[in-house]
Amino acid sequence: MGRILFRFSAAVSMLFALTAAGFAQGAATAPKDIVIANNANFVSLDPQDTNDNISFSAEKAIYQGLLGFDKDMKLVGVLATDWVASPNAKKFTFHLRKGVSFQDGTPFDAAAVKVNIDRLADPANKLKRHSLFDQVEKTVVDNEYTVSVYLKAPFGAMLNNFSHPGAMMISPKALQDYGKDIFKHPVGTGPYLFKDWVTGDHLTLVKNPNYWGGPVNYNSITFRSIPEDGTRVAMLQSGEADFIYPVPTEQLQVLAGQGGIVVKHDPTVGIQYASMNTMKKPFTDIRVRQALNYAVDKDAFIKVVFNGIAGTATSCLAPNTRFYSPQTPYPYDPAKAKKLLAEAGYPNGFETTLWVGTMSVSIKAAQFLQQQLAMVGVNMKIESLESGTMANKIWNVADPKDATIQMYYGSWTPSTADADWGMRPILGGTMIPPKGYNTAYFQNKEVNADIQAGLDSADVATRKAAYEKAQKTIWNEAPWIFLSVPQNIYAYKDSLQDVNLLPDGTLSVYSLN
Amino acid sequence: MSSPLPPASPTDAGPAAPGRHSPAAEFWRKFRKKKVGVASGLFILLLLIVAVIGPSIAPYPMEKPDYNHILAGASFAHPAGTDEFGRDIFSRILVGTRISLWVGFSSVFLGAVFGTFLGLISGFYGKWIDTLIMRFCDILFAFPGILLAIGIIAILGPGLGNVIIAVSIYGIPVFARLVRGNTLALKASVYVEAATTVGAKNGRIIWKHIFPGTLSTIIVYFTMRIGMAILTASSLSFLGLGAQPPTPEWGAMLSNGRAYLNTSPHVVIFPGIALFLSVLAFNLFGDELRDALDPKIRD
Repeated sequence: MGRILFRFSAAVSMLFALTAAGFAQGAATAPKDIVIANNANFVSLDPQDTNDNISFSAEKAIYQGLLGFDKDMKLVGVLATDWVASPNAKKFTFHLRKGVSFQDGTPFDAAAVKVNIDRLADPANKLKRHSLFDQVEKTVVDNEYTVSVYLKAPFGAMLNNFSHPGAMMISPKALQDYGKDIFKHPVGTGPYLFKDWVTGDHLTLVKNPNYWGGPVNYNSITFRSIPEDGTRVAMLQSGEADFIYPVPTEQLQVLAGQGGIVVKHDPTVGIQYASMNTMKKPFTDIRVRQALNYAVDKDAFIKVVFNGIAGTATSCLAPNTRFYSPQTPYPYDPAKAKKLLAEAGYPNGFETTLWVGTMSVSIKAAQFLQQQLAMVGVNMKIESLESGTMANKIWNVADPKDATIQMYYGSWTPSTADADWGMRPILGGTMIPPKGYNTAYFQNKEVNADIQAGLDSADVATRKAAYEKAQKTIWNEAPWIFLSVPQNIYAYKDSLQDVNLLPDGTLSVYSLN
Repeated sequence: MSSPLPPASPTDAGPAAPGRHSPAAEFWRKFRKKKVGVASGLFILLLLIVAVIGPSIAPYPMEKPDYNHILAGASFAHPAGTDEFGRDIFSRILVGTRISLWVGFSSVFLGAVFGTFLGLISGFYGKWIDTLIMRFCDILFAFPGILLAIGIIAILGPGLGNVIIAVSIYGIPVFARLVRGNTLALKASVYVEAATTVGAKNGRIIWKHIFPGTLSTIIVYFTMRIGMAILTASSLSFLGLGAQPPTPEWGAMLSNGRAYLNTSPHVVIFPGIALFLSVLAFNLFGDELRDALDPKIRD
């Protein structure tokens, strides 16, 4: 009873605090020290050993790569001024920017690039981003400011791998000094220097006075980890934070129309899907897989789960991924779904289980799918699994026959923004667990051949044709229920400049021009 | 919590002498004067009725979504508004009543049965059995209640059935302690000594002469525990360890609704009120019941 009273009074006082905070907004002047609040803890500050976007966001302020993406995900030169790919996509030569030093004074040159690429390419280092460079045969220093990377096999999308944040350059001296501990002592070429990091609380970066790119906007940037959605919103309203992300869709109307605060949302390069294990009954039957696509009202899905803030999936790739080609969406047609199920021998539907993470929005999505599938007679149970348990259940399976996964709700955001990384790891025949993320156990000869053809060539027209064909086949084969293209939703004080959330979900705190 | 309530006088359990009020009549004479007790009793009766017929009087099927009316406020069509899937919250609360009461009753009942059994044995036989059982209870007592329940769920896995087991396990030591205290007092009473002298077997003495004397304490505590059990079960569901979607368990409804606290507060307010009133009713009812059953309190 006491607990309930407490819960009520806490709720009421929070409402008051939120309203009061709305009035507390003062006149805005450009801040010099900014606070960015996000929803999770930093894991590492070694970009080559990172696989979460929160960590990449801080790393991208400290480090830079040879290439990078601007705020529209266009590939631009950063530490390389120009570059040449051989026609067979096996050799890539970079001309480096002159007069750049790492934050510890070490000069940035071809030798430094070689140290970094060698580190990434060596499987013995067990780096999380080794997969981006596992095709590298050798790296050769041509002269002080020219470096060439040779691949074992052709790889058309290699330039996109160089622009991935996992390929950012670390000071060779720091790598030598700190060894494995480099993840706590980051040294790059970027505009901000590392100051301190208290796990679970904050990470502070300060201005790099010797930055090669000219004046730096802010004296310091503090990242705060605030998992509770409402708290992040309140921090922005009270002025405690200057930039918050993600903003949950249900909180949008709280922030909308408030003076001095900008709320933005724009499409990511990600795709939201529910995969079906195509090697297990009943999903071996294409009619069943298509039926489930007809059974789900995608517009209602977006409205209910994302408050209308998401795009409809029109391919297995998001529209701003390279080589995306739009397909005709499966219309919402429960009658047709029932008919297809009956043809496939399931006139009364069937029982299945969907695995989903523990985030409330994912569970909401799962519940929505459950409701929709129930209408065509499919009884889908929801199993919400904590990430460690989920990883175990998916990737500790050596033989596809032993896989217990039936349906899986997930999303995929290829940080290279290229069709290859958008398809191969999740739909490629070589990427069936435990090797990759192909939770649909999708093994299609045509698609595999097309993905390989795209990989083998650096020629844009050839790759385009291959990926168009692959997308068409995948759409028709329906290994997933194709759902939506998520959006990045973020909010900030209108005096803030040059802080952008990129379509790949990482933050950029300065402009790359 | 660890100090036993004053035991009922053993003579109360005996058959009523002619011309005197029976214990039940005596209880009713006292209890009906307690307005709060009667009111909460009536509310509990209402809850029981809703638990039985709730699903058939609910205006909407509790699982039926309406994507055109999501998070709508209270209205004539939806007296408690709709939730994030456009489901009628009032209907869900009605259906949820059965779940909460079932979890509350069954978990306390299980805890009471095992606890009483252990308490009787412990109090009657004493010696090493007593020590063993009481140290076992101490260990269970050492955990804060909800933590113990979370620990048990962690072993058994989430789900309502396991919540019942978890909540009942954490009720066992409480009942064991109370009943043991009563048993010790009753064991020393003259009529038990008399029964022993005429050669009654231990089992008969425990069942026929001691257990009835502990009943009033058990009934009072049983009632008060139900409120707590409902709250604990809801807390576990709130944490995602109990009822799984789309079960309309009140705690799970609160958990789902907290994302909309500052935009659509009705999603949490109505299940919150249902939970609040139910727990309050059981606690007040238990309080008044104790006063009415306690022979030391005279009106």
